[in-house]
Amino acid sequence: MIKRSELLKNLKVQMFYLDPVLVTQLAFPTLMLTLFLIAPIATVLLVSLNYNPADIFTDPTYVNFNPRGSPITIRLITFRGREFILIKISGVSLGIIMNSLVNSFIVTICASILGIVVAFVMARYSFPGRTILRVLAMTPLLVTPFINAFVIRKIFDWRDGIISWIIGDVLHLPYRIGIEDLAGVAITQIMTFFPIIYLNVYSSMINIDPSMEEQAENLGAKGLKLFRTVTLPLSLPGLAAGAAIVFIFSLEDVAAPIVFNEKRFMSYHILERFLEATTGQLSPVAATLSLILLILALAAFIGIKKYVTLKQYAMLSRGGRWSPRIRRLRLKGLIVVYLFILPLLLFAAFPQIGVFIYALAENWADPLPYGFTLEHMAKIVEDPLVFRAIVNSLTYSILAIILIVAIGVSSSYVIARARIPATDLLDILVTSPIALPGLVIAVGYFYFFTSIFRGTPLDPITFGPALLLSLAYSVRRLPFTARAVYAGLQQVHIALEEASLNLGASRLKTLVSIVIPLIGINILSGALISFVYCMSETSVGITLGGLKGVGEEHQAPISFIMMDYLERVGGPHIVASLGVLLISIQLLVIVLVNVVFKQKYAYIGV
Amino acid sequence: MTRVTLKEVSKKFGKVVAVDKASIEVDHGEFFTLLGPSGCGKTTTLRIIAGFEIPDEGRVIFDEEDVTFKKPYERGCAMVFQNYALWPHMTVYDNVAYGLKIRKVPKEEIKKRVKEVLDLVGLTGLENRYPLQLSGGQQQRVALARALVIEPKVLLLDEPLSNLDAKLRLRMREEIRKIQRDLNITTIYVTHDQEEAMSISDRVAIMRRGRIVQVGRPSEIYMNPRNLFVATFIGRSTALRGSIEYIQGRRVKMRVNEKLTITGKLAEDYELSVGDKAIAIMHPEDFTLKVEGESNIIEGVVELTMFLGPFTQLRINVGDQNMIAYIDPEYEVKTGTRIRLAIKEEDVIIFPLIGWEEFEVETIT
Ligand SMILES: Nc1ncnc2c1ncn2[C@@H]1O[C@H](COP(=O)(O)OP(=O)(O)OP(=O)(O)O)[C@@H](O)[C@H]1O
Ligand SMILES: [Mg+2]
Repeated sequence: MIKRSELLKNLKVQMFYLDPVLVTQLAFPTLMLTLFLIAPIATVLLVSLNYNPADIFTDPTYVNFNPRGSPITIRLITFRGREFILIKISGVSLGIIMNSLVNSFIVTICASILGIVVAFVMARYSFPGRTILRVLAMTPLLVTPFINAFVIRKIFDWRDGIISWIIGDVLHLPYRIGIEDLAGVAITQIMTFFPIIYLNVYSSMINIDPSMEEQAENLGAKGLKLFRTVTLPLSLPGLAAGAAIVFIFSLEDVAAPIVFNEKRFMSYHILERFLEATTGQLSPVAATLSLILLILALAAFIGIKKYVTLKQYAMLSRGGRWSPRIRRLRLKGLIVVYLFILPLLLFAAFPQIGVFIYALAENWADPLPYGFTLEHMAKIVEDPLVFRAIVNSLTYSILAIILIVAIGVSSSYVIARARIPATDLLDILVTSPIALPGLVIAVGYFYFFTSIFRGTPLDPITFGPALLLSLAYSVRRLPFTARAVYAGLQQVHIALEEASLNLGASRLKTLVSIVIPLIGINILSGALISFVYCMSETSVGITLGGLKGVGEEHQAPISFIMMDYLERVGGPHIVASLGVLLISIQLLVIVLVNVVFKQKYAYIGV
Repeated sequence: MTRVTLKEVSKKFGKVVAVDKASIEVDHGEFFTLLGPSGCGKTTTLRIIAGFEIPDEGRVIFDEEDVTFKKPYERGCAMVFQNYALWPHMTVYDNVAYGLKIRKVPKEEIKKRVKEVLDLVGLTGLENRYPLQLSGGQQQRVALARALVIEPKVLLLDEPLSNLDAKLRLRMREEIRKIQRDLNITTIYVTHDQEEAMSISDRVAIMRRGRIVQVGRPSEIYMNPRNLFVATFIGRSTALRGSIEYIQGRRVKMRVNEKLTITGKLAEDYELSVGDKAIAIMHPEDFTLKVEGESNIIEGVVELTMFLGPFTQLRINVGDQNMIAYIDPEYEVKTGTRIRLAIKEEDVIIFPLIGWEEFEVETIT
């Protein structure tokens, strides 16, 4: 039994450490995240309760254990006057929910294998051209909504695809190969996401204490055995973190299903419901599917909790503290690298290169692009709808960044410094958006703000989605800034603040004249990274973003216009031009953050 | 000029009792030192005085005013941190001027006072440097200047010299002492270096496991350690064990073995009876080779000699025990020879033999 006086005294002690500034710094993020993260997600839960889950799990559209379609079809065709053997890989459908699940598993496993191989080669061997290969390996991480998937489809299309063209028209072999439907989505996601695994595993590997491997070698393990028994197990935290992110990104990815016109995925299904929602009604199926997405995403994170804490995902590579074991490759290894790894990486980087080709070519309907023009690039300024989208995205992103900096600095400061319980909870709250599918947030926002906030500026049906998009961006991209600030605070010895308090400066004065100048670079870097990912944000942009249509005064962001223009005549060129714009911003920020500010750039986040 | 009083102050961190019912009174202008081994609660005590921690129990009083629950920025005491905590984004001038700017001192006066204090600590001309462009000793001075310039009620120093090399440490210690005397600021100093504490302080409080075990002037503590811990912590010590043979007032005679007895004074606060097990604590530098006319004569075999500069250290076997003595290096003593040493009765303090295992007593085994 704790006595009343004890309690009172405890309270007094607690209050001592909490001055008004700290209280504000605690209350503001908590309030914002409760309103714009917890409440909407709770609403998803509430709405989906109205729907009997048995209905969905017994409906063969959603769950179907009798596979539809055949994974590979081979038949004889006559195409443009010649006879071909057509090999079409399309995958089988097990119903919307199962498709998403199976697809994400396959993508995660394949991306993991690729990522580990590339990471191992890069982390342990030196060879001519290593730097170029490292750049190539990270290229797919440049976010270009839709258009990179569009280029991948262009590679695997059996009619005018590049591979079929090489086999059939260049080599004159009687084959045409096509990858489409479910298989097309899977291969697109594998190519897009494997660098996430690569980066995480790579940073794990270069952080392995070299003496661990040396000890194992010393005991007689070498080659594959050394890799299997020491290197890989020690890289597991990186692998687990990367795999969880890939799994979630794959689950919520809409771009690949849209480009391959494959509607049998949960993500596409939710999107379709949204496209009907301009009326103000969103089918409760969207809520149920969102809940399933949410549960799967959370399961992925809780599943790997054993290995890594949430903090590490957002921070990513810590950089090597010691020089890792790097050896020169011998001939056999060099052959493997140049014959296998290099083409693989070139291939994986091709979609981003293809974005430039699409943007700058007069036409790319045939297997090869034709002509050079700046006209498509000019369109992004000239076409009022597109230009407006750019202005919209800029506005939303800047608004979001202001909120992100305010929330991120406050929450990180409280987490790093305040001596009160429950900061762990705030920490989880701030970093969790990394693990939350954007579609779930979009669905939650819709239900929450069209009901309780009906008629207020937050209601996307009455006033349009502008404000909600800014808020959603600020929640989704918060972790990048929050972690950067937190990392900065850990570098600032607490005595620097205490010295200021000790000399008579208030908490606020200390914050303004000591803390913020010392972590300014971290705040700026974090804000820039958040900004980049706001500009290219997709899931919320293409769902909530379209609620006011694409008229003259539209409120849609870049990603929505990209999706919308994909189907228009000549549209892909404009979409690609927007892709070039996004890539340019990303490269600029990468250079600023890495070279000018000398900070780590956190790469994940699509 | 402020009197600092701690009344029964306690502080726990989880299960760790960092400070345990500590009471001290530091007088106006006094140089007061908290001395104790690592982890004994010195920093925590200092931080309680500064207001970075508040005690679970007890009171902190400046003059007559209870400041226990005052914020650090309302207390008017200035602290010099162990790692100096200079702000890397500000010049020396800005670092030092900070506290004055907070106090809204007019610009001209700030200039004047910063210049004065930089003169005082010998840093004139370095105003525009950044902390990273300074040597360790210079950084130390900036930290001191930054604390002094606001004319604090109380100056708090947490191991301010521990990051300096041995020579600089000696010099800075004298300078700090001189400046403190000149300005007459109440100063509380924390160190785990007993020599530093003894040489610099008006009074010393010895801490152990969060408790204050003895407070007094350095010589007092050296001559009259209150318990075995203080006796062994202050200076180097050596010991012999035995049982009490004879008691006369506070003077006791202890038998070490058949051939050897040693006479000394019974430690304050303790009582012993004939036959009790006891331990005699001595400082190795108190032994002399001139045994004529002395009552305490110890005879043993030299096991090891070690030249230490100002003296030679001997390890001497007296039957079943070893002890340490320092002798003048002029005497050449070979290992294996027999030697006779004398020590004055007042230099031998005898304690009951309880809990001696935990203390760092040379060659007690
Ligand atoms: N913030 C804290 N949280 C938990 N335990 C603490 C904290 N600060 C100090 N302690 C513990 O309290 C005890 C006293 O610590 P304190 O720093 O006061 O010792 P010290 O005498 O200054 O030691 P040193 O000479 O090593 O600096 C130690 O056991 C320490 O581990
Ligand atoms: Mg300390």
